[in-house]
Amino acid sequence: MAEATLTSNRLKGLGGTLAKQGILIAFIVFMIGFALFSEKFLTSGNVMTVIRQAAIVGVMAIGVTVVVIGGNLDLSVGSMLSFSTVLVVDLHDKIGPGEAIAVMLVATLVLGALNGFLIGYLRLNSLIVTLGMLSAIQGLTLIYTGGQNVDISHQDTTWFAVFGRGQVFGLPVPILIFAVVAVIVHVVLAYTPYGRRVYAVGGNPMAAVFSGIRRNRVVACSYLISAFCTGIAAVILGSRVMGSQNNVGQGYELLVLAAVILGGTSLLGGSGSVLKTVIGVLILGFIQNGLLLLGYAYYVQWLVTWVVIILAVWLDVAAKRGRLFSPIA
Amino acid sequence: MTKMIQKSVAAGVVASGLALAGGAQAETMTIGITQNNVGVDSYQTTYEKAFIEAASKNPDVKTIVLDAGGDVARQIAQMQDLIQQQVDAIIIWPTNGKAVVPAVRKANQAHIPVIVTNSNIAKEGQEFIASFSGPNNITQGAYSAEMMCDALDNKGQIVQITGQPGYTTAIERQKGFEDRLAEVCPDVKIIESQPGDWNREKSQRVMEAFLTKYDDIDGVYAGDDNMGVGALNAAKAAGRKDIIFIGATNFSVGYEAMARGEYYGSIYQSPVDDAKNALQTAIDVIKGKDVPKMNYFDTPKITQKNMDQFSKPVF
Amino acid sequence: MSIMNKSSAARLWRQVVRHPIWFFVLVIFIFFSLATDHFFAFHNFQNILVQTSTIGLIALGMTLVMINGNIDLSVGATLALAASLAVDIQGWPVFESWGDWAMLPAVIAALASGIMLGALNGIIVWKTGVNAFIVTLGAMLGVRGLVFIYTQEQSFYAMNFAYSDFGSSAVGPLPTLAVIFLVFTVITHFLLARTVHGRNTYAVGGNRDAAVNAGIRVGPHMVVNFMIVGFFAALAGVTLSTQMGASTPNLGRDYELWTITAVVLGGTKLTGGAGNIIGTLGGVLAIGILRNGMNLMQVPAFYVLVILGTILIAVLFLDKQVNRKEDGELRV
Repeated sequence: MAEATLTSNRLKGLGGTLAKQGILIAFIVFMIGFALFSEKFLTSGNVMTVIRQAAIVGVMAIGVTVVVIGGNLDLSVGSMLSFSTVLVVDLHDKIGPGEAIAVMLVATLVLGALNGFLIGYLRLNSLIVTLGMLSAIQGLTLIYTGGQNVDISHQDTTWFAVFGRGQVFGLPVPILIFAVVAVIVHVVLAYTPYGRRVYAVGGNPMAAVFSGIRRNRVVACSYLISAFCTGIAAVILGSRVMGSQNNVGQGYELLVLAAVILGGTSLLGGSGSVLKTVIGVLILGFIQNGLLLLGYAYYVQWLVTWVVIILAVWLDVAAKRGRLFSPIA
Repeated sequence: MTKMIQKSVAAGVVASGLALAGGAQAETMTIGITQNNVGVDSYQTTYEKAFIEAASKNPDVKTIVLDAGGDVARQIAQMQDLIQQQVDAIIIWPTNGKAVVPAVRKANQAHIPVIVTNSNIAKEGQEFIASFSGPNNITQGAYSAEMMCDALDNKGQIVQITGQPGYTTAIERQKGFEDRLAEVCPDVKIIESQPGDWNREKSQRVMEAFLTKYDDIDGVYAGDDNMGVGALNAAKAAGRKDIIFIGATNFSVGYEAMARGEYYGSIYQSPVDDAKNALQTAIDVIKGKDVPKMNYFDTPKITQKNMDQFSKPVF
Repeated sequence: MSIMNKSSAARLWRQVVRHPIWFFVLVIFIFFSLATDHFFAFHNFQNILVQTSTIGLIALGMTLVMINGNIDLSVGATLALAASLAVDIQGWPVFESWGDWAMLPAVIAALASGIMLGALNGIIVWKTGVNAFIVTLGAMLGVRGLVFIYTQEQSFYAMNFAYSDFGSSAVGPLPTLAVIFLVFTVITHFLLARTVHGRNTYAVGGNRDAAVNAGIRVGPHMVVNFMIVGFFAALAGVTLSTQMGASTPNLGRDYELWTITAVVLGGTKLTGGAGNIIGTLGGVLAIGILRNGMNLMQVPAFYVLVILGTILIAVLFLDKQVNRKEDGELRV
């Protein structure tokens, strides 16, 4: 009996460290592993490329983190990315870059508000609502373009190019945007009353409501944040490609969710952090890039992602309960 | 009196109307089409528009236009639905060259002629189709290989970005390119191939990895211009200006890049010709005319040198 | 007279409340019958049943898993793996002398792969205590990776037309695939409504602590349900590949989403503890009829996406309104 408690305590100590640093440790192990096998992997050029590519998923994942901490899901971000990218690229030549970005952000926020109204105020299940929105927004995008690709004609002269292709102080702009969004949302979540309310609503909705928090509004706002982040991601993507297909965001919702989960944000709500999500995004990005550099086919990364996700979340869960295996009989 | 005239006139109109309707009934043909994935790129969308427009100009033709959304199972369901409606002919743009064969066979058993458009089905299914109407993708791949040899002066190392895995057009272009390249200029080596899924952004990401991995890339062959321009974007961002880009299915973005001198060449393939060719083949088949089994339409090479002979693609 | 009317109206209302989706099925059935010529035909009903059977089979297993309070997102990938195995193995040279019997080991291997992947998911959920959504989201990516590694991105093709002939064969007036679906629907209904395992499924999903106190071994119980959904996903892969006589590595993409949608439309709660097979059958029929009917009406594909998405949300909303009313009645 005493012995059992002792091992359990020791496991708890070890687990505690892992819980705090598990993702970080996994990240470092991966980086060292790939660096040993590919000399190109840790070159600054490659690292920049990976982070630049990951910025799009990253910015979206930061928004979705807020939704998930509030106890909900957002599967509509993938087709929302298609919609917003198509819109901003199409309007670029018609009304000018600045106006295009403004109109696109407003339209994206309207979609986010719709999500927020249905889930926050009507209290419909977020999984199904955002699934329905995924389908509906994809259809809207296709109706808008009539199925045609959209392109920006004078790619070399527009200042719109700065978001996806520009550099400031030697750093690619997408990385800067990613960092700025991460810091802002981190500050909002960690240091503002709104952030505390999101954790409260996700952790214990009943208690939150009894303590006077307007759950409806907090949840609805989280979808606005998520939509806004997706709008920013669309600016990066549109500027990077200077054109868009109608299905460009297809499947992003799952990559984004995988990154959020990998970062250790609980799907039950109430816990998680933006900085961990950033690490989750980077791990996914470097796995993909590392395997590609080692010459593996692109689908091998899916297999590796499977194992990594389950191990990472398992360690996280195990550390929190203080034992490796679940107590369920 | 006047009333009576009116009546008889009315009766006459009705009668002639009936006769017209009866006559039209005998000649009207219903053609069903199930397309691959409209909206995924402009080529397919322009094809659909051109098809509907061409059909509406022909008063004897009624069409049922369906889209499988890239899903094989849904395409098979649509084939069943078309057989159920007893159309006079079915045009299919296969989502997959192998998986649709039994559905095509079923239509054949129901005595509905099947015309395959744009991308051919597997050879096991050839006996069940009336005709294939579309580009010769093997030849297109070979043309691109010849252009690559010219551009690189028969020496160098290149990378290849292919279309959607498992898709017949992608496989045939890749095969045509690789075989012809080995024949014409064996000193041009393909150092790596990765799929770009007909997607510009995906292709851009793949090219970025290639650029990191290989310090020396002389040329890029992409399965279509959409992906080719994605690769070009990546190379421009990395400041690598000495690379030759060759694609297929000339898109307007590819045409513009060619005009700027950044893109070497492509294959000119008009979705309007593609659609018209398919519709005409179907009509000929229904009327019992002799139709060649492989009804290719012409897809010439387009390069910076001869591009002024071609109008800019509308897609 | 009026009292009778009232009570029968009340009974009808109760039925609608219990399975609002069947009311919706009835509405769209009547709508499409009036709106398009080719809808109301026996042959078309056969088509709908066959087209529905793929999602339908998976949905049967998914209902059990979701009543348990779990979910399985890996079913689409499992379907693709099973289809690839079933089509590929029957062409192996080892079985060349077996004739049509070569299909037997192929189908067995396919079904076994589904059951094993289900067991793997179940055991991971049980032993690690990680949320089923995360476990199966990982598996959804990973199993798809396995499919691509196994097939090397290639489609497989069944040389023997007997395989695809099975897919289009009929038992009396009904297509064989529809019969398979209906038989398994009945079996699963009885499993859930009349057996100890079925009662435990509700108990575990409704109140896990109470279930543990009642002596149910929750872990193994959940593993069994994951194996059942794996089996059904694999079976759907086999039946779908008999329709095509072929398999493609991309088969079954998004099927997990449509399956979950159908099950939820059928009244199963995502939180577990409530739901049944009759509702699920209504849910899959609703989606199948909508797709078929809009096909026949030639609704442009772009609009179909918007309509399906909107209807999904609208039904969810109505379901909530109706059930809230029900709750209100109970309180009185």
